[in-house]
Amino acid sequence: MTRDLAERRGVETEVYGAAEDSQLLAEAAAEAIEPGWTVLDCGTGSGHVGGAVADAGDVRVIASDLNPHACRRAQDRGLEAVRADLLAPFRADAFDAVLFNPPYLPTDPENEWNDWMEVALSGGESGREVIDPFLDSVGRVLAPDGIVLLLVSSLTGFEDVLEYAEKRGFEANVVNEESFPFETLSVVKLRR
Amino acid sequence: MKESLMDIVCCPIDKGELELDVEERDGEEIVSGTLTCTDCGEVYPIEDGIPNLLPPDMREDAVA
Repeated sequence: MTRDLAERRGVETEVYGAAEDSQLLAEAAAEAIEPGWTVLDCGTGSGHVGGAVADAGDVRVIASDLNPHACRRAQDRGLEAVRADLLAPFRADAFDAVLFNPPYLPTDPENEWNDWMEVALSGGESGREVIDPFLDSVGRVLAPDGIVLLLVSSLTGFEDVLEYAEKRGFEANVVNEESFPFETLSVVKLRR
Repeated sequence: MKESLMDIVCCPIDKGELELDVEERDGEEIVSGTLTCTDCGEVYPIEDGIPNLLPPDMREDAVA
């Protein structure tokens, strides 16, 4: 992994492709999800995580993204795609699990591309400008015993994200983790 | 989208119930149509099988 947004962008500008973070989340999800569940792959991007979950078992996977190109790729993978801003158009208690590999790279506001890759990667100056609103609203769409699997990078501030989640009433534990030269990626399981 | 998605989605603005209006269907798949909020009356398009449930001020493609 590289910590440089410009390097990580590569040549693709429409949809963020599956990378180490997607793989780590997909593994954790395949482990945690139970048959019969309804699962949201929030910000599905390439559809990799949602696709892996759908392949792993008898579950219904809804894939959402702000990006219309990502929605089409998710649909091409056989997932039920919804164009959405985070959790806004989903009903209360709708999901047994919500999976989220958020845009998390802290970004210099003067260094912006204004394309879909920027939207997929950038977490604003703090790296948490998408994660925080997600944590504010995910409780509403979760079934009473539902779980969240959230990918957290050390670049975003692991402790800050966990503290924020705990303030929103979640208990957190790490279910998958991998270290790279410039960052550690963790999959955190949140439940109330 | 499948009709059963109606149990999962709601209006992104006020969380109201949505009413489905089908224009084109292909077996179980609803290819095109609209979803209308029964509370605020906002209309959301379904195009190429994908419901666009962005609030109206976000609906235009802001970037490429």
